[in-house]
Amino acid sequence: MPGPLAILFVLLGTTIVLLLVLVARASLLHTPAGKVLASLAFFALPVVCGLWGLSEHLERSKQTVFCLSCHIMEPYGQSLFADNPMSIPAAHFQNHRIPVDEACYTCHTNYALYGTIRVKLHGLRHIYVQYFGTAMQPIHLYDPYNNRECLHCHEGARSFENDTHAALLDQIKNNQLSCVSSGCHDVIHNIDSVNKSKPWRPVK
Amino acid sequence: MSAATDRSSKLLRLSGILLLTGLAIEAISLRWIHPIAFLLFFVAGGACLAAGVLVFLYLLVFRSGPLHSNDTPAS
Repeated sequence: MPGPLAILFVLLGTTIVLLLVLVARASLLHTPAGKVLASLAFFALPVVCGLWGLSEHLERSKQTVFCLSCHIMEPYGQSLFADNPMSIPAAHFQNHRIPVDEACYTCHTNYALYGTIRVKLHGLRHIYVQYFGTAMQPIHLYDPYNNRECLHCHEGARSFENDTHAALLDQIKNNQLSCVSSGCHDVIHNIDSVNKSKPWRPVK
Repeated sequence: MSAATDRSSKLLRLSGILLLTGLAIEAISLRWIHPIAFLLFFVAGGACLAAGVLVFLYLLVFRSGPLHSNDTPAS
């Protein structure tokens, strides 16, 4: 069965052919059927194609390859392959605790109302800075990492139920104590050590 | 053909060309997973599609022309 992208390309092709015919043979527009065809080709189909294309691009922007396609993000992509079980991103990525194809998005989205829109706007800011400005050195998050993104998956999970988490749960939920605090889960994208150790390579 | 109808035909052709350009840009941008592809689609493709649709709607609402004519097509 053809995927949504193939169907979109068929729709794009159909619209282009219809438009070419109607632009080349304007006399067709004099008939009632031609007017209906014109409404489809000049309005309905382009609107559908545009919105579908936008949706497709937004879905693609969640992909790991999309995030890592900018040069500045390369070491962060490499850190996902760090051979270090204490590294939070690497352990999540290598053990498929997060979808591998959407690894960056899964942890760096905003699990709140309109969160997806907010991260997409941040994404536009990234693009602006990448091509028209100067990127931060080293790059860092706009806001401190919110525990909500960790708790979205971990809260209620059996592996999360222990005395330490239970004792600190209120502070964790209120972001008074970060999950990535020193002494807790503090090995995050460790860029400095990326090139110093041998990376993990999945067995094909 | 009156001058008004002639102008409307030109506007219809302009709308078609804008839409064709927008759709072509969309098709090209969808072959590529990169922030530039998103920008290309959103800025260039989106602008062409929006302009093409708006020109067509303008033609439909405010102008007489091929879409309003009751003439039968030339055989």
